Amino acid sequence: MVEIVLGTALAAVGAGIAVGFAGLGSGLGQGMAAAGSVGAVAEDGDMFARGIIFSALCETQAIYGFLIAILLLVFSGLLGGKPIDNVAVGIVAVGAGAAVGFAGLGSGMGQGIVAGSSIGAIVENDDMFARGIIFSALPETQAIYGFLIAILLMVFGNILG
Amino acid sequence: MADDIATLIGQLQLDPQIVMVIAIVAIMVVGAVIVVVASRPILDIYPYLNPIAKVRARKGRLLNEKQMTEILESNNIEEVSSYLRGLPDYAPYLSEYSIEKSLDTHMADTYKYISTIVPNEIKDSFDVLATKADIANIKALLTAKEVGYSNEETSNLLLPSGSLYNDLDRLVDANSVNDVIAGLDGTEYGDILVDAIAKYEEEGSLLPFSNALDKYYLHKLLHSTKVPGNDNTKAIYSYIGTQVDMDNLKLIIRAKADGLDYDAVSPYLINEGYQIREWKLKDLMESDSVEGVISSLDGTKYAEILQEPLSNYNNGASIAVFENALDSYFADYSHSLSLEKPLGVGPIIGFLSGKEREIKNLKIIARAKREEGFPEAKIQEMLV
Repeated sequence: MVEIVLGTALAAVGAGIAVGFAGLGSGLGQGMAAAGSVGAVAEDGDMFARGIIFSALCETQAIYGFLIAILLLVFSGLLGGKPIDNVAVGIVAVGAGAAVGFAGLGSGMGQGIVAGSSIGAIVENDDMFARGIIFSALPETQAIYGFLIAILLMVFGNILG
Repeated sequence: MADDIATLIGQLQLDPQIVMVIAIVAIMVVGAVIVVVASRPILDIYPYLNPIAKVRARKGRLLNEKQMTEILESNNIEEVSSYLRGLPDYAPYLSEYSIEKSLDTHMADTYKYISTIVPNEIKDSFDVLATKADIANIKALLTAKEVGYSNEETSNLLLPSGSLYNDLDRLVDANSVNDVIAGLDGTEYGDILVDAIAKYEEEGSLLPFSNALDKYYLHKLLHSTKVPGNDNTKAIYSYIGTQVDMDNLKLIIRAKADGLDYDAVSPYLINEGYQIREWKLKDLMESDSVEGVISSLDGTKYAEILQEPLSNYNNGASIAVFENALDSYFADYSHSLSLEKPLGVGPIIGFLSGKEREIKNLKIIARAKREEGFPEAKIQEMLV
């Protein structure tokens, strides 16, 4: 049984925020894209593959949050190894989790709206596929910013390494 | 600042770990508030995403300009029919019914389909739109009984759609108009038809029934939207309200062309109107002529729309020019409404008005192609 110190507990909170909020954004986004896809497939069976692609796009935010959460758990001593005995480092871990979590929330919701809308555009006009993918990929950038900042916080906040 | 906070915590004699827990709980609460606020627009959009994809799939199958030109260039009604048989939306109907009946049934089924997929907040309006088939069937049945059609001819007039179809199909055997009305007792149309019997017997025309049914339908349509509501219900109200105004205008123009006065037409007007309110309707009806009606519309968007048709009318054209101008305006207005709420009711309105326009134009072409040598240029002019 690992002895949980405050620093490690804070890192655990950070991991929860990372995967929780990123997963929430991703889930809402994927729900919207999938709702649009089901409607499209009901009218045109050929839309199934494209519906899956647009629905899967919104998965990435949850993956970023999941990765950061795993790193926090591993390097905070919760999954073995050295615990974080410095409260300040624990707060940095919360910051890293919040960065990827909230960025993933906004990005996932935004991407879901665009992906759901793109599905509607493609089922009406097949030529919209490439443009739909480009527009749907745009909200991904916010999640990438959050992910990068989370990594930088962990590297320079003495969590990684 | 940090020192002040540390001093304050010291004075409260709180354990730093408890302070940390309180801070984390505060962050979580703020996070939860952010989630709720950020999710609200999503909750408005979410119910529309599935229906939007479905209607946009159908919108993609609407006839484009090239296809419409090809149909227009058909040599006769058989060519129009075989062209439409090649389209998946129309093929199942054309294998069973005539072109006109196929088009009307397809439109009725489209209203029904839309009413089954739209979100609850706007469902009532589309349920009322779906009753168009019932009203068309009642009118057809009354006409058939008045004219004395055989049971088979009468049955052919009915659209196999709408919630009353089975009841109406049973009434094909009725002997007279009054028997049909008696057979409709207990339905929502029973009372309004009974109220119109006296006028029918006095005038010897079915017009009182037709007008009473139209008035009932438009009144129900206008009151089917929950206003004030959100942007989606407002768009629906605007879409429906404009239809009501235009129907009122068409009725008034027709009445003035026939020389009828206010008292003769007012029972059939939807007094509430939308942008043309009761006092304005009265004002329009008190005009001496069609020209007077148009000039009384000054200051409204309809004055500009009806100016050009007025010149054509004065040069000998029929009142259909006004109806065509209003229909074209309505199609454009619906298109602009459809762009306002792209993740709400917009695409649904866009599809429905596009389908209505398509059916209307196909019916015009079909009717023209039945007459040998009907000039294409003339058909083109008649299209909405």
